[in-house]
Order: sequence, then C-alpha cells, then structure tokens
Amino acid sequence: MISSAVDPRELDRQRRRVFLALFAALAVALHTVEALLPSPAPWFRLGFANILTLVTLFLFGGRAAWAVALTRIGVGSLLLGNLFAPGFFLSLSGGVAATALMTGAKAVAGRHIGPVGVSALGAAGHASGQLLVAWLLLVRTPALWGLYPYFLLFSLGAGIANGIAADLLLDALRDHPAFAGRLEREGR
Amino acid sequence: MALKGAWRRTRPLDRLLVALLLILCGVLLVWLRPGPPGSRVVVEREGTVIFTAPLDVERTVELAGRLGPTRLAIRQGSVCILDSPCPRKICIGMGSITRTGELLACVPNGLLVRIDGGPGVQPSEPAYDLLSR
Repeated sequence: MISSAVDPRELDRQRRRVFLALFAALAVALHTVEALLPSPAPWFRLGFANILTLVTLFLFGGRAAWAVALTRIGVGSLLLGNLFAPGFFLSLSGGVAATALMTGAKAVAGRHIGPVGVSALGAAGHASGQLLVAWLLLVRTPALWGLYPYFLLFSLGAGIANGIAADLLLDALRDHPAFAGRLEREGR
Repeated sequence: MALKGAWRRTRPLDRLLVALLLILCGVLLVWLRPGPPGSRVVVEREGTVIFTAPLDVERTVELAGRLGPTRLAIRQGSVCILDSPCPRKICIGMGSITRTGELLACVPNGLLVRIDGGPGVQPSEPAYDLLSR
C-alpha cells in the first residue's frame, strides 16, 4: 500500500484493524503456549491471554474485546484439539463470564477503573464461571465449592499480575500513531 | 522498586476492587473450610455410591470406572489415588484427602472420591425411615 496516496483516516482505520488482528493472534498463541505449562489442576491457569483482551478493551472498546476473547477460545481450542470437550466448555464459560464482567466494569466505571481492577474482576469472573460449569457438567457435588476460595485467591493473584502487564503494554502502545489521541490521558 | 511501580499503576477504584475481592476470599476461606477429620470414604460413579470403607483400615482397592480400574489407597486416615487410566493424571496430582467434605475427582474415569463423617452422619442425604423406604 502506498500510504501517501491514501486518505489518512483510512490509513488509521487499517492500522487499527491490523493491530486488532495482531492482538487476537497473540491471544491465541498465548492460550496455546499456556496449555503446555505444567499445572496442578486444569483450572490453575495463569490466563496470560487475558492481557490481550484487556489491552483490546482499553484500546478498542467492549465489542472488540468480546471478539478477541471468543476468537481466542474458539481458535485456541481448535489448535489444542479439545473443541467441545469438557475442557472447552470450562474455558468458554470462564471466558464469557470474565469478558462480561470486564466489559461491564469498563462501561460502568469508565475512566475511574484501570487495567488492574478490570483484570482482577475478570479473574474472579473466570474462576466463578468455570467452577459453576464444572459443577453443572462434571461433578454434581457441593464439596466442589470447597475449592472455590483457593481457586479465587490464585486467579486473583494471576489477575493482578496480568493487569500490570496489560498496563505496561498499554504504556508502550499509547504513543503509537494508530492509537494516538484515542486513549484518555489522565495524570497519574 | 517493582512493588512501588505496580502500586502506581493502580487507580483508587482498582485498589478498592482488589481489596473487596481479597476480603471475599478470606470470608469464603473461613466459611468453606474443610470440616473435622472424616471417618469414612465414599466413592461415587455417575451419582451412585459404588464403594464405602472406613478410613482407619489400611487397604488398597481397585474400582472400575468408565475407562478402566482406578487404584485407591487408604492409609493412616487419608485417601489418595495411586493410579488411574485417565489421560492427564490430574486426580493423582490432587494428592490425599483427610477431612470431611474434601474430594478427589477423576473426571475422565467418572469417579468421585469424598470423605464424610461416617454411616450415621449424612447431612446432604434425606433421612429415610422404615416407612418411606
């Protein structure tokens, strides 16, 4: 593409579109790589892929965040070969609950909430959604809820770390021409 | 310092949210903590009890699941899964359980191992009497 011959607004749109595709692809890659990490139980995931959903939410808004989250879960489980297996439904329910909470929080709180708060909420949503579906589909026993506090605590720690990582990434992207002026700038 | 940098990256609402979630965790930890050491191990397969045994008798049993036999060891008041035909061996990694309300699950094999207070105490089951049975 010869940029000089193109309408600058069109160029901006294309740039942002490329970034969105890049975020979705990175989220899929992180989702897949993370599945290779050893974990004591299937629900102890670090959720690195959520960093990309967070960054998308802050740079593009709620709809794009949903697109990245659902693309990651769909394509990620295709790559891992567990599409429609029990693990897929756990992943899907956690992802949907997390994205709903994150986009909701951003819509309600707007500028007052940062990536760390959104990420912590998302992590709690992920933990709750996953355990709920695990209880509904896999093990119908109230004893499963005994795991909930540990699960929540762990995901909260991971969520805070991911939020900080997302904030670092936002800082790095903030001055890129594709996003210049799109982010609210507030004094920290 | 890294911690200070992390603190600077949060907004007041973020801190409030994290604090609230941590408090929720703490409350749940106290509320849902496992009960006293149990006395009986119960194994369920797809909702039906297929095996019960006292916890104080040391033994190793093989139980048939959906995929094949799962070996269970009862030793010094605790239960653990020694071997199971599931692909990822998560149930073995869950370690051993000793207290009422704790559980081990081998989801691929369809087995659920839990501990309860004994034959007399079953809070979640309705108490049948001679007439209703």
